[in-house]
Amino acid sequence: MPSNYPGFQYDADRETFSAAKVKALESLLIEKGVITGNTVDTVLGYFETEMGPFNGAKLVARAWVDPDFKARLIADCNAACDELDFPAGMSGAEGEHMRIVENTPAVHNVIVCTLCSCYPWPTLGLPPYWFKDPTFRARVVREPRVVLAEFGVELDESVEVRVWDSSAQIRWWVLPMRPAGTEGMSEEALAALLTPEAMMGVATVQV
Amino acid sequence: MKLQHNLGGLEGLDPINTEVQVFVEPWEQRIFGIHTAMMALSNQLGSSPPQYAIEEVPTTFESFWTWGHLRMGAENMHPFEYFRLRYYEKWLGGISGFFVSEGYITQEELDTRTAEFLASSELAAAPLPQGGEPAIDEQVVKYLREGDSPMRALSAPPKFALGDQVKIKEVNSGEHSRLPGNLKGKIATVIKVYDNAFAYFFPTTDGIGEPMPVYSLAFQAETLWEATTTEPNMIYYNDIFEAYIEAA
Repeated sequence: MPSNYPGFQYDADRETFSAAKVKALESLLIEKGVITGNTVDTVLGYFETEMGPFNGAKLVARAWVDPDFKARLIADCNAACDELDFPAGMSGAEGEHMRIVENTPAVHNVIVCTLCSCYPWPTLGLPPYWFKDPTFRARVVREPRVVLAEFGVELDESVEVRVWDSSAQIRWWVLPMRPAGTEGMSEEALAALLTPEAMMGVATVQV
Repeated sequence: MKLQHNLGGLEGLDPINTEVQVFVEPWEQRIFGIHTAMMALSNQLGSSPPQYAIEEVPTTFESFWTWGHLRMGAENMHPFEYFRLRYYEKWLGGISGFFVSEGYITQEELDTRTAEFLASSELAAAPLPQGGEPAIDEQVVKYLREGDSPMRALSAPPKFALGDQVKIKEVNSGEHSRLPGNLKGKIATVIKVYDNAFAYFFPTTDGIGEPMPVYSLAFQAETLWEATTTEPNMIYYNDIFEAYIEAA
């Protein structure tokens, strides 16, 4: 018996159609007073300038140069955010309850949300596509070393891999290891080395 | 239980797509912004801890819309459609369907305007309507800054303690669940009892909703997957609501 399922078929103008449909939706919502002509741009601007991976990078750089701050960040991420000069909102949407886990020579952490795409917005902004992809979500929990190798991260057998899945309200991220050769660098220069991938555990920090 | 409730450990999939962009097409930004605005204008925020004056916001949006509603839509899709469609394609279908079903717009209006944009590249490139009540956007930013914490006071002490062995209940996932399906019936160790209790946006048929304790649980890989298909020296942690847990 052949399957009744017609298969994964896409229209030739898949993206053109979605672009037209979302513009139709947004324009109707503006006309009907649901949102304004600036609402969507306001949301997007917030994540470009106020909440994004540049915030997480500052926190990690501070933790690298200040062991006491690192201890406080690991103990209570939200409280530690208040110590730095960030815009209001570090405990706002999708960051109400954040936790950070530290990578060491003995432990490597990686974050996943198998049910959807939970991500710490104030410290890392919005999730990249790899994090939202069902293939990553399905595979990393069972074979994290194989998955990490596909991202270019090769771990020694002695390293314990910890996979953290976000099924409740805690939003997780990773404090990566400070790379060798960065002694004496300023916090600003250290922050510039960080990527969202390093702060979710699928990359190491490169100089 | 749907396949999308049970992704963890699925075999036979492709190599990882390591795409680092948040949006791979410009249109995806627009549906993300619409969804975020809906959450920021949702009617339950009047009883959220930040005490939003949501009834005074001059929007015509009067609905209850949260992550829970967006997720429930994705979980109710045909499982193969879930995999066929890209992330924000699922959002576009679910959100536009919601606005039609709630009567904010009609399907005919949406289809007609979509067809107009498809027929005319000039119209498709024209600016969006401008104007609207600035207080709407002020509420959207206020929501982004203040959030919607589900943390509440405990009404009863947690049933389990640090170090306890626990078993995940065999609940029916229903139309929306926060329990990864592959954990059902499995044994784990409590490594943290979170302070306070956590509500969920609305009651689900599988038992969450009212404030309850949440636990960080550690699962040994060999209790979840056949040993030859998993890896040594790894631990899988998950944050699990108390409703999903029983004594081992």
